[in-house]
Amino acid sequence: MKVFRGFEYRRGTTAIHTLDPRAKIVYLILFTALAVFYYNHFVLIAIFASSLPIVAIAKIFGKWSISIRGSFMFVGFIFIFNLLALYFMSGHTLEAAVLSSLSMAIRFICLISIFSTFFLTTSPEDMTQSMVQLKIPYDYALTFNMAMRFVPTLSKEAQYIMDAQKSRGLEMEKGNLVARVKNYIPVLIPLIISSFRRAELVADAMESRAFGASKKRTSIYKLRFDAKDAVFVLIAAVSFTALLSLRFLFSVL
Amino acid sequence: MISLKDVSYSYLPGRNALDRVTLNIGDGELVAIVGENGAGKTTLVKHINGLLKPSEGNVVVCGLDSMSVTVASLARKVGLVFQNPDHQLFAETVEKELSFALVNFGVPPDEIKKRTEWAMSEFELSQYAGRSPFMLSGGERKRLALASVLCYGPEVLILDEPTTGQDNRQKVRMASLLQKLNQQGKTVLVVTHDMEFVSDYIPRVVVMSQGKVIADGPSGEVLVKKDILEKASLVPPQLAEISWELGLDPPSISLDEVVARISRLPGGARP
Repeated sequence: MKVFRGFEYRRGTTAIHTLDPRAKIVYLILFTALAVFYYNHFVLIAIFASSLPIVAIAKIFGKWSISIRGSFMFVGFIFIFNLLALYFMSGHTLEAAVLSSLSMAIRFICLISIFSTFFLTTSPEDMTQSMVQLKIPYDYALTFNMAMRFVPTLSKEAQYIMDAQKSRGLEMEKGNLVARVKNYIPVLIPLIISSFRRAELVADAMESRAFGASKKRTSIYKLRFDAKDAVFVLIAAVSFTALLSLRFLFSVL
Repeated sequence: MISLKDVSYSYLPGRNALDRVTLNIGDGELVAIVGENGAGKTTLVKHINGLLKPSEGNVVVCGLDSMSVTVASLARKVGLVFQNPDHQLFAETVEKELSFALVNFGVPPDEIKKRTEWAMSEFELSQYAGRSPFMLSGGERKRLALASVLCYGPEVLILDEPTTGQDNRQKVRMASLLQKLNQQGKTVLVVTHDMEFVSDYIPRVVVMSQGKVIADGPSGEVLVKKDILEKASLVPPQLAEISWELGLDPPSISLDEVVARISRLPGGARP
């Protein structure tokens, strides 16, 4: 659950933190698309590398490395699972299976890195505001914002629940795969129920503070897309085009 | 017998949640653990049932070193009831909720039946046997959470904030239950902020502040020390305050003693 800490926003004043969220969304979308598009390891590694300057400028190496390290377990799982599936079930040669699984694993790390840098440097309020300015209805923008905001709360709560159930003799790591999945039921049910309870509370609290009273919301603070945002988008777009052209010029897959 | 020796623990490097805590609790004692928010009370009790392992020092409970046993084997002996019942209730019915721990510990089925029935009658939950735990009221859920731990008969019982959100009748019931369990020879630890509850019902108190034990002794002696209570941000028991105001010497938290001393004051209360 510690992995969530690698996605939690912390206030910062670096050039990356103060970028317009829309500029960062452009980077996020372009490079996520590239990561999904390519199979070639070197291109994937280049995509991963593209997030490194951002990490350096934003000075978020510590938090970012938590999310990267936290993803290793999933990466290992993806690699092994793909390897087994490709080799035994789809009849690939061992070499092809290894290479392809490796791509999958690197792609996953790329996505974690891109999303982690985005969420670490973008405040939830700014994100909501940028969604509103992108003409997404406020209700949806707020729902998204709140979903993000409650991720750490949920992970903390899951920890409490696990402690309580372990105290009643639940052994999470006991038994075969099916038994282990079943072991999660006593954790998941309280987690879901308390999420519903909390949702109700939050709804009541919002209505008590007159949420939705005025049809047209105004905001005291507007996001401005200025020169440095344009430069960032330009850099992202140029590197995107450069990476994409590899496909057409050198038929890299 | 619970024995903690020089136990330190930290969640984040650089800040000790427990700082060289040494504490011995004998079999059959009834002890309150009090202290300000973040003093380390919950961290301390999590060491006693093995959920947390000390970074330094050692914890021995009922002859078992917590480092060398699993939570499940320690939990068999140490029942820990958490503050929020919603963090543990999950089963379809109250009856199944009660049998969860018993099944985990491998108790035979006829014994499970006997124990769950005992727990339901003890906690006035029998009429809800087939009902979902989520349909119960807040107070009933709290009782169910307690029952679900008590029914497997741990030798040591630890309650984290058992009185929050309970009315006076439930508090008195809780106190008499704790005393009854204690008379049956169980060791009972109560983590609480409710100083009146402690001064009325619990003979020994351990005061924690900033990860350290700053006082440990009979409630009548500890709860009249102004500096200790202030340091741990605790509300003094009303009788202690009366004692201080009237300059009774020695101050006391026992109603009879305070009355007796007041009547001995010059021009004191008429009998």
